[in-house]
Amino acid sequence: MGENLKIISQHFDDPQARHLDHYETHGGYRMARQSSSMAPGDIHAEVKASNLRGRGGAGFPTGVKWGFVPKDAETVYLVVNADESEPGTFKDRHILYWNPHMLLEGMIIAARSLGVRNAYIYIRGEMQREFCVLQDAVDQAYAKGYLGEGIFGSDFDLDITICRGLGAYICGEETALLSSLEGGRGWPRLKPPFPAVKGLWGQPTIVNNVETIANLPWILEHGGQAFADLGVGRSGGLRLVSVCGHVNKPGVYELPLTVTGNDLIEMCGGMRDGKAVKGVIPGGVSMPVLTADELDVPFEFDALQNDERIREVETSPGVKFDLGGGRTLRTMAGSGGVVVMDETTDITKAAWRILHFFADESCGQCTPCREGTGWLASVAHRVAFGHGRAGDVELMASIADGIAGNTICALGDAAAWPTLAFLTKFRGEFEDKVKNSHDAAPAGAAAGVL
Amino acid sequence: MTAKQLTPEIEAWIEQRWSRFPEGAAGKALTLGVLYQAQETFGHVDTEVIDVVAERLGVTPAHVRGVATFYTMINARDVGRYHLQVCTNIGCMLDGAYEMFDRCKARLGVQNKGTTPDGNVTLSEVECLAACGYGPVAQIAERGKPEIPLYFEHLDEKKIDAILDALEAGNVPTELGR
Repeated sequence: MGENLKIISQHFDDPQARHLDHYETHGGYRMARQSSSMAPGDIHAEVKASNLRGRGGAGFPTGVKWGFVPKDAETVYLVVNADESEPGTFKDRHILYWNPHMLLEGMIIAARSLGVRNAYIYIRGEMQREFCVLQDAVDQAYAKGYLGEGIFGSDFDLDITICRGLGAYICGEETALLSSLEGGRGWPRLKPPFPAVKGLWGQPTIVNNVETIANLPWILEHGGQAFADLGVGRSGGLRLVSVCGHVNKPGVYELPLTVTGNDLIEMCGGMRDGKAVKGVIPGGVSMPVLTADELDVPFEFDALQNDERIREVETSPGVKFDLGGGRTLRTMAGSGGVVVMDETTDITKAAWRILHFFADESCGQCTPCREGTGWLASVAHRVAFGHGRAGDVELMASIADGIAGNTICALGDAAAWPTLAFLTKFRGEFEDKVKNSHDAAPAGAAAGVL
Repeated sequence: MTAKQLTPEIEAWIEQRWSRFPEGAAGKALTLGVLYQAQETFGHVDTEVIDVVAERLGVTPAHVRGVATFYTMINARDVGRYHLQVCTNIGCMLDGAYEMFDRCKARLGVQNKGTTPDGNVTLSEVECLAACGYGPVAQIAERGKPEIPLYFEHLDEKKIDAILDALEAGNVPTELGR
């Protein structure tokens, strides 16, 4: 397999590719057709062997997730998470717009393996353009007999229904997505039980990301082992990475998992105006930032979590943040949304904007997140805009540490982790802002007072 | 009795989708979709609209209100004919989104979520639109025209002015969008 292999992005920028006939001419739907007469366990075995890991953010092994569905389940649902809203991430939108049939084909394969009769795609409400393209693709597939009853002339029935969100970041969290799909507020649910055991309408439900599912036709065609061989360690395949910020050629790239942060910047035509790198967020704004000297690490799930060249996140200088069970936090590959910030970036303002987002999007169920994200945004704002008070840096860290691990879903962590990482790695910038504040309080006064 | 009624198009949509959900779950499951289409019809979602949707779907008005107040795409009040939504989240911010947003505010003479006195344009600052590589990005929705909204990418002052000129003249500059 060549170095420039493209699995998912091969038809990006080709307007014809969204038409079923064109997709089929280029080999599309062959694997869906084949899967419709395959034993479900054989498909599952290939997915397990592929080392495919979820591309939505958590990087959980897809084959393992599928294995959690109880063997005697009568009704199993498949839900595709197309609620892409993690700032910095814009890869799934490309798949939906340029390559909708690859997603549908992957869904047919997954549904066959999981014994699914009804599958749903939950797409962001804001993605009107992508919704129209996707609905058109679904209609084309029905017209051809690739969806509905007895698809491809087999005894396998499958309906795919597209459901639109109405604007709520939290609905990208899988249990919130299920709450929304059932027609309610997008409120996350406690896990366990995990959706694979008890999900949509109380039935076993597999929620997979768009990119995850779109990899399935290739895996079935070439075999799980071939996909695993493309990757490194316990992570199979290639990965779509979306790059934004201060690079010359931002965009969506499909790359091997060996690519490092520095490689990535080079592939994006280098830094804009020849500026130096200040910080890079590797996987959507929920993930801890990397500094310029931490970019020689491959942007791969395990490496970003474990590589010792990446500094551990701290709650205060010298005190490591406890992820639970004594584990420390470096960063994670998340959603593949890479944000590159050059030397001119005011990190305190970047941190404020990210926290403002989480405060806006907290669903309000859990007090530490509802109140904490609001306070974080508020303190970050006054620090960033010249009204910081003595003790604000410690205050931010303390609020973040109070949110982390204390909420139903990961949104709390998503606000806390980057806060602590910004404070760990760019502490001096925050302290300088406070020192030079217009409202600088006399020494010793007001520390910790909101 | 309420005067507002769901359109035949919405009724057909409900009929078509009802069987895609398990027995007893469809009414609730269709809440988001019906609310959004009702907003397209009536311009906003008020108590009357909530009651109509609840009655049709066989769910409580409290449930529908809970949904309507949770999601940002449901408006309790009328928005302008055009809803100009500018993303200022991190990717767009690094590309100068706040400068673009300020220009919109200045030219339209409104603050965030404000509507021009003639009811033509509502300006909103929105969160990430998943187009971070092409920022600053804005989306324009035109009331009653579901084929809009379009994304407008790589905004600069010239493009903002062209967009605002077009909206003032009563059209969405689709040639600038994608």
